[in-house]
Amino acid sequence: MADPAEIRRLDELSAEMRRLLLRLCGHYSGAIHIGGDMSMVELLISLYHHGMNVDPDDFANPERDRFILSKGHGAVGMYIAMALRGYFDMDEIMATYGQLDSAYGMHPCKIQLPGVESSTGSLGHGLPIAVGLAFAARQRRESHRVFCLLGDGETCEGSVWESANTAGSYGLGNLVAVIDRNKQMMSSLEGVAMNLEPYPDKWRAFRWRVVEVDGHDVGAICDVLDALPPVDHDDPNAQPIAIVAHTVKGKGISFMERNVGWHAGSLTDEQMHEALAEVDARLAERLAATGGGIGGGS
Amino acid sequence: MSAIGTMVSARGVVGQTLHELAAEHPHVWGLTSDVGDPIKAFAQAFPDRYVDVGIAEQNVVGIAAGLALEGMMPFVAGMAPFISMRSLEQNRTDVCYQDLPVRFVGWGGGLTTGGGSTHNAMEDVALMRTLVNMAVVSCSDPNMVGAVMRRSMAYEHPLYIRLGKGKSDPCIYEPETMTGEIGAGLVARDGGDATIMAHGELVAEALAAAEQLAADGIDARVVDMYSIKPLDTELLLRCVDETGYLVVTEDHLAFGGLASAIADVLVDEGVRPKGFRRLGVPQLYTGFGSAPEQWVKYGYGRDGVAAAVRELLA
Repeated sequence: MADPAEIRRLDELSAEMRRLLLRLCGHYSGAIHIGGDMSMVELLISLYHHGMNVDPDDFANPERDRFILSKGHGAVGMYIAMALRGYFDMDEIMATYGQLDSAYGMHPCKIQLPGVESSTGSLGHGLPIAVGLAFAARQRRESHRVFCLLGDGETCEGSVWESANTAGSYGLGNLVAVIDRNKQMMSSLEGVAMNLEPYPDKWRAFRWRVVEVDGHDVGAICDVLDALPPVDHDDPNAQPIAIVAHTVKGKGISFMERNVGWHAGSLTDEQMHEALAEVDARLAERLAATGGGIGGGS
Repeated sequence: MSAIGTMVSARGVVGQTLHELAAEHPHVWGLTSDVGDPIKAFAQAFPDRYVDVGIAEQNVVGIAAGLALEGMMPFVAGMAPFISMRSLEQNRTDVCYQDLPVRFVGWGGGLTTGGGSTHNAMEDVALMRTLVNMAVVSCSDPNMVGAVMRRSMAYEHPLYIRLGKGKSDPCIYEPETMTGEIGAGLVARDGGDATIMAHGELVAEALAAAEQLAADGIDARVVDMYSIKPLDTELLLRCVDETGYLVVTEDHLAFGGLASAIADVLVDEGVRPKGFRRLGVPQLYTGFGSAPEQWVKYGYGRDGVAAAVRELLA
């Protein structure tokens, strides 16, 4: 089990990431993919601040864990999670996001923003790229992992299953797909949307080991990440791992949760202040519930 | 290496060259979407640098991009229509956008598979050359692919290498003629009355056309514009200047391929040949039959080329 102080730290970071997303969504002139950003907050925080072996001061270290954001429209979430870790300047992100000549755009660009492993944005592209990174690591007998965060919606793309097929067939045990299973695509309408169930079984059928987790419980996510088997290139039974994280689109803000209208959008000042207050209230509740408020942490 | 006229399998040259390059360079990989037979010897010698993903072109290109991000140099062996069209977005967004040194080796260029329009690659040059950072090379001599592959070890950008059927083709050059330089053209036959430009299997047709013309007293130059992008514009402008007339033939749509690339240069440079003709597949989906039969049917094989030159000079 993850240490309560660590859980508290990650919960506080998650709340801070939500506040930053909301502030950007409030002042940026265009739309932010706020629904899908909110659904992966705890996943990104748990990966970049706990589970992955990365060092922002030595971001190209060959031994680092690799991270591919296949749901590239969640770029701003990744920028903020990485900036909180020390990769980027938060003020620069907040001041320049989406503007002419900014390195921080709607979809991440490796060329313009070193530290990002691969440019992404067109859906269904990230997992094949991650499979390539995993093959390279295996051939060089390196022991780092390759993490790939996918939206469940993009797993309608055939290319995802082509690469799932390859990873399963070749037993890429150094590959971890994390699926933000928020069950809502941009146009998911009640009763007439794609039904992806039996979702975990689909991954199992492609010879992946599946772990399901509450994608908003940082303690549970850390337990899964901490329990990943060590990379063993000689294990003939190695399997890629799919972490199916059950999440809520728009998580944390009542008027956004499960509301496809907030797939992308902007906030008025009033909405932003209402949402920021809710983040603080929910964090206080969470800390009280997990005992994080009684001084066990710092 | 083989002397002029010898029949050689270009696919075999791909396999042999890949094997040699992999032995020399630890970052060379071979990937395929279920057409791995020609690179079997490489696969057996270097199984940890070989991936066959089955019939899944989008996937194989994405994986190649991932490998290249890690400093590898992947050669992707595929069929020209599918490696150019099925995976086009991966070619563009995963490989070209990130300017990665992935080599797309596609055989079955033009109408050479005889499989009908599902298997024709008559748009591949147009599609691939429009991608930023992608170079496009079309091999006329089976050994040329080996020269280009070797040369590409020092080339750090995406590269499409187009082959014809690639099973058994006549060598048209002495081996040392082929430098494999990307961005160069090759004068396959000198002449002063008109220039015929071609790429791939149509270079041999152009040479045959030049023979026919020689019998009529017309001295035609044949230029192998194997590097379609970047194009050897200096050679192009020199040929127009020296011979005046220009006929372009290619096993591809007549619009969008080499002829279009040439026409762009001529317009931009304000150069007007005394006469210009482009030959290739018209705007239709062709039927079945061997490639040489179809080259005759659509008028861009040797007879069609010779006729076009005669018409221009008349």
